[in-house]
Parts: sequence; C-alpha cells; structure tokens
Amino acid sequence: MLTFAEELLLLGHDENGSNFHDLPDMLFDAALAGAVLMDLAIRNRIDTDLERLVILDATPTGEELLDHAFAILARHPEIAATADALDLLRKEGSVIEDKAIARLLERGILRREASRILWVFETRRYPLIDGKELQDVKRRIAGLLFSDTIPDPRDIVIIGLAQACGLLERVFTPHELEHCRARIEQIARFDLIGQATGAMLQELSAALTTMFVHYG
Amino acid sequence: MEIRELQGDGTTILQLCGRLDGTTSPGVDDRLSAMSAKTAVLVLDLAELSYVSSAGLRVLLKAAKQAQAAKQRLLLAGLQPVVKQIFDISGFTSIFTLFPSRDDALNSVR
Repeated sequence: MLTFAEELLLLGHDENGSNFHDLPDMLFDAALAGAVLMDLAIRNRIDTDLERLVILDATPTGEELLDHAFAILARHPEIAATADALDLLRKEGSVIEDKAIARLLERGILRREASRILWVFETRRYPLIDGKELQDVKRRIAGLLFSDTIPDPRDIVIIGLAQACGLLERVFTPHELEHCRARIEQIARFDLIGQATGAMLQELSAALTTMFVHYG
Repeated sequence: MEIRELQGDGTTILQLCGRLDGTTSPGVDDRLSAMSAKTAVLVLDLAELSYVSSAGLRVLLKAAKQAQAAKQRLLLAGLQPVVKQIFDISGFTSIFTLFPSRDDALNSVR
C-alpha cells in the first residue's frame, strides 16, 4: 500500500515527469508533513484530538519515510499539539519528498531519467512506468466525489490533502470541481489532522502573499 | 472502555462507556464489525461516552460505512456536549442520524 506522501506525489505528477506540484515548496512541505502524520495515525502509531497529539505505539512501521519522521517526532516529547508536530515535520519536507520518490522508484511506479541541458545543467525526470497506481488513486477519488458513498479513512485523507494542495485541479475539470465542491469540503472536514494541515497551509499561504505584497 | 449490549426485536443497543481513543478503538472496532450483518437496527448509546479522538472517529466512520453496505440502520444517541462538539467540527453530524436519547432513537424505528 502506498503512503499518503507517495499518493500526493503521484497526484501532482505532470505528464513531462519533471514536476510533482505547482505549490511553493514551503506549502508542499507542510502537506507532506500532514501526509506523514495521517499515515502514522491510520497505522495506530499516534492519536490526536482538537488539541493534543499522543504517541500510542513507538514500533517502527517498516516504511522508511514514515519511520524517519516518527523518529524525529519521538525525539521531541515537548510536542503536544498537531499544529506543532506539523511545524516540526514540515522542516523535513524535502527529505520526506526524496524518500517518497525513492520508494516510488523502488516499487517500480516511477523511473528516473537524467539528462543535461546545454551539456552543463543536469536535470532529472521521473516518468511513470505505466500509470496504473495514479489511475487507481484518481478512480478512488472520483468514485467518492460523485456519489454519496461513505468514504473510508484512507480516502478522506487523500481527498483532504489533495484539496489543501490544489491538486484536485490536476485531476478534474473546473466544471467537475464546481459540481462536487460541497462534497469535497464535506469529506475534507472528516479528518482532524487533515483540518490542521489545511489550516496550516492557509496560514503559510497568507504569510507568503503578505511577503510578496511587501517585498515584491 | 466498557461496552454493554442489549438485544431487542431486530434491534441491538450497544452502550459505549468511557473513552473512545487510540487505545480503546480496536476493541470497539471488532465489536462493531461483528454487529454489521447481525442486526437490522443498531443503536449506539453514547450517553456515557466522555471522549472521542481521531482514532475513535475513524472507528465510527468505518461502522457507518459497514452499516451502509449491509443496509443496516445505525443510530447514535445521547451524545455528551464534548462529543457533540467533535462531531460538529469534523462534520460527522452529516453522516449519522443523531437522537437526544436512546429512547428517542428506539421510538424512531417503531
């Protein structure tokens, strides 16, 4: 089963295979932090409520990217709130992203192509090998957004994260999104970590906008 | 967490007493999963449930999904204000049919 960080990268994957999202890195890092916390919650390693985050079980999950983040969390017992855990882990965003890409390569979902522009600048592309896993994620999301089916916890997480990152725009047309806007908002509310992640993304986004306005 | 079970005519009442969190939710999950195909109406009496965490919400969501698949009526009754607040914030009130008390829930299916 893919981790949420891997699913998020797949959803944002462009046809060119070189870009995984359109967000400023600061925002995507927060989304990846949320993805990791949600995976740890679904695997019963942590639990949260409106105010607190607690570690239930310190046993490693066996997924390197989750265990990397989990170890950081465990080293900071002073972290008691979901927002603080997100803030701590978003600083690991690029490491989480690298580990998620490595896992997608290892699973045979992506392949790596290195090339040089003007014989000098090295670039890397990560084309999909057959795109089946991406289609599976898209099908799961579409199946829920265009029905009244009660979602399962995994689907809530990926819809909440994709909504927070603006990645649903890569999956659906503007008309389709307009049609299921209320349903997206309903589902995204179901997960408390998802809500905290969405709130953090909004805060960071507002801070970035203010910075651009003031400093150009 | 204590779970009390009462059986009626095609109706089962499960009383959840205590805290529904990451520690207690696996046991509640097992109990609710076993109920999904067993009874036409399942009333969860939450009058003595004092706390619900994210893990607890996931268990209730899974129960709602199982009930939908099994065409079972799942009714929640007697939510304490602190639990109702979590339901309001997480939007769970849009998934479940809530009743002020167990008797109100039972009256709705008679």
